[in-house]
Amino acid sequence: MTAGRAPTRDERWLALGLWVLGFVALWATEAAVGFTRDESVYFYAGEGYARWFQQLFREPARALTDAAIVRAWDYNHEHPALMKELFGLSHLLFHDTLGWLRPAAAFRLPAFALSALVPALTFLLGSAVYGRTVGLFAALSFLLIPRQYFNAELACFDMPIAAMWLLVVYAFWRALEDRNWGVLCGVFFGLALCTKHNALFLPFILAPFALWRAWTSTVDRPDARVWLWRVLGLFAAVAVLYGLLVVSLGPEGFQRKFFLLSPHTLLFGVLAVGALGMLHLLNEVHPPSALALLPMATMAVFGPVIFYLHWPYLWHAPVERTAWYLNFHATHNHYTWFYLGKLLREPPFPLEYVVVKTALTVPTSLFVPMVTGWLVLAGRAVLSLFERTRTRVRAPSLAESLVGLNAVAAILIISHPQVPHFGGVKHWLPSMPFLGILAGVAVTRGCEALVEWLRVRWPRLPLAAVAAPVFALLMLPALIGLVRVFPYGTSYYSELAGGVPGAASLGMQRQFWSSNVTAVLPWINEHAPRNARVFLHEVNGLSFRDYQRNGMLRGDLQPGGPSDSDIAAYQYHQEFREHELNVWQAYGTRTPVTGLYLDETPQVIVYQRRRDMTRRVGGGP
Amino acid sequence: MLLVALACLVFQLRLPGRLASEADYRTVAGWLRAEVRPGDAVLLFPWWSERARLYLPPELPVYGYLGSDKDDLSAHPRVWVLGQPELPRAGEADFRAAFLPRRNAVGASRRAGNLELTLYENGRYRPRRFVASEAYAKARVYLESPDGTRRDCPFDGRVHRCPGPPHLYVAPEWHELNSEPRHCLWMHAPGGTQRLVAEFDGVPAGTELRLEGGLIFEYASHHDARLSTTYYGVEDVARREPLLEIAQPPGLEGVQKASRALPPGEPRTVKVWVRAENPDRRQVCLDVFALGDGAVVSREGT
Repeated sequence: MTAGRAPTRDERWLALGLWVLGFVALWATEAAVGFTRDESVYFYAGEGYARWFQQLFREPARALTDAAIVRAWDYNHEHPALMKELFGLSHLLFHDTLGWLRPAAAFRLPAFALSALVPALTFLLGSAVYGRTVGLFAALSFLLIPRQYFNAELACFDMPIAAMWLLVVYAFWRALEDRNWGVLCGVFFGLALCTKHNALFLPFILAPFALWRAWTSTVDRPDARVWLWRVLGLFAAVAVLYGLLVVSLGPEGFQRKFFLLSPHTLLFGVLAVGALGMLHLLNEVHPPSALALLPMATMAVFGPVIFYLHWPYLWHAPVERTAWYLNFHATHNHYTWFYLGKLLREPPFPLEYVVVKTALTVPTSLFVPMVTGWLVLAGRAVLSLFERTRTRVRAPSLAESLVGLNAVAAILIISHPQVPHFGGVKHWLPSMPFLGILAGVAVTRGCEALVEWLRVRWPRLPLAAVAAPVFALLMLPALIGLVRVFPYGTSYYSELAGGVPGAASLGMQRQFWSSNVTAVLPWINEHAPRNARVFLHEVNGLSFRDYQRNGMLRGDLQPGGPSDSDIAAYQYHQEFREHELNVWQAYGTRTPVTGLYLDETPQVIVYQRRRDMTRRVGGGP
Repeated sequence: MLLVALACLVFQLRLPGRLASEADYRTVAGWLRAEVRPGDAVLLFPWWSERARLYLPPELPVYGYLGSDKDDLSAHPRVWVLGQPELPRAGEADFRAAFLPRRNAVGASRRAGNLELTLYENGRYRPRRFVASEAYAKARVYLESPDGTRRDCPFDGRVHRCPGPPHLYVAPEWHELNSEPRHCLWMHAPGGTQRLVAEFDGVPAGTELRLEGGLIFEYASHHDARLSTTYYGVEDVARREPLLEIAQPPGLEGVQKASRALPPGEPRTVKVWVRAENPDRRQVCLDVFALGDGAVVSREGT
């Protein structure tokens, strides 16, 4: 299928059902999931932002001053604010105002809503491009991947950006047949920019498809082709002029002289008015090519505008603060990461890292269909390039190519050896729904072949009679793995890795983000002396506070370090062994008192200070 | 794909049966309590299976770190290998290839559930005639300038504390050297041309003198241009003779080793020293051993 298509009524209902199922499942299980280091930062930021919104209603003039904005929004300004605004407002409503939810659940609610969007949208896209069976497989399998389920629980940005990425691609594809979706594509792209910086790559992935579609649809229409060149000329001219401004003013001068009334803004205005105006005229000449180009125009226009509007922090100093934000991510520092027995500390990182990590963390019964589906698609694309082999295969359609490219886009971006490699799989989650669709294609084609074969004997055998047990067989190992490892999602490893213990032998990162500490909090609550100091290692101060205010850690306990604490919960990281030995030294023992040992692998190791070892305040011997 | 899914299902269903239970650990701990001799150690296989630490007698040294399969464990005449060969990717063949040379099993392996306990005579055993980190309390510690002037670092009953920043002291501590836990002498380089010196008497002659040390934690991996090479070594006080020296440039990780034979004669007084022009992140932990003849003592130990 080349053009987009609207879902049928049944598909809409199924998509809604999948969304509800995902949302309810995430909500019902969230209480067990610990607070990751970043999550508590976003809780804190969200609360601050929500307070500013309250101030905006009470005293708008004061709230809109730069001083008030900086006071409220300076915290965690290395990430755009959309999700944190949602987390904070949800907390304000459902916890502070209504008192319906514990604080963490109230913060996380918007994340559940967006995460649950992934199966629903995956179903709609998969169903429209390949058929309902494919869509269902992709949707149902998505949250069965333990690391994806874990990330879907968090009030962070990784799953929301995966949802936004998918939403933009879906809108882009729908825009091929519906102008409204062309407008929505620009809006969703703006929201994606407001979610996480990954969205900056979307135009580069989608533009070739828009251009190809416009080019091929105007082959027999020279008048439309002229307009196509004009639109492209406008984009190119604006890009060149911006480039000239940068070259002539220098990067700093370009940034310094970017005012409301400046050539920079004028160029943007020309692009916005010119592109939309030209597309309006092109639409009168040749609607299909105008439809193809509309998403690019709306993304170019709406993206920056929505990004600016959503983030009060940018309102008084948009250029300087956006430049800081972009520079922060362009020069992000590297965290040490354990990979195949080696500590990766700095680039260049192994080129194959992302592929290997995906292979070892996606349940193998789902990973193999993903690889099969993608390789078949890539094989068809390659064979269709050559005249000798072209007749043997069906060339991939535009929609299939869109799915195929998005299935590897995020993976390819992160695979660059200079890109930071910490964070497990969460940085390339936007690829996973598309890989899920291709897995669904591989599985469904297999089921169809099996049904054909079985119909020799049972002519009336429906596809569902084969697909249902096959789906169950493929998804059951993932479900078992998910249940076994939940809620310690960053620790999951696939059957190919040999599970959690196999991955430990392979020398893979055992966990990260500190959330596994929940396993030992009940022991600490039971055994810590009153007002004791507790060293929770990777758990930061905000998370410590969040465990207390969510009733997971006793309120009288104080955070401490190895030398001044009574109980230590070391979280096993190969790069932090020194921290555990600091505890041995300070506590006078190498014998833990309890811990979290997932399938034998040490994850969190708890030590208790020997009574004859006195606490020292301020560190040192 | 169906075969892969079936294999995955079998893997997931079998996995719980391949793990050790608490009762298994308690059984093994009981055996060890009854049978260990002074000087024995436990080696974990796979190296990361440290859950055993919860149950084993606290006084028994337990080794399990990335690379411990190859550790000579030369302080121990006998080694108990506590293995879990049923674990996925346990890599028993690799373990045996690294561990078995110059070691012989004493008796048969015993099993408690999925735990396997085997006693080995350690042919790599080298008796310690002198260990600096154990003799540290009697050491004379001082900061020494190139012209020979000294500033003492008096012993406060726990550490030899030097004048200057709080990290300038000498005491045995647990630290990590390239994943390996080491109980070694903390000797942070003082910076400039000064040396931090610990002077020990009674280092026996007719032994192998060995210096082992390194920069702790992640600091060895750092290789900024402004970081300095760290030098540490041992010299004979009476003869003013350098005996051992190691130069560890920024970026060189792992335990650095140097050794030489000390000819028979009177026990010596030696200086153990460390220096680095720029002390930033030059956090040295080291030890000096005088090792006896392993072959003879190994037989004594069995």
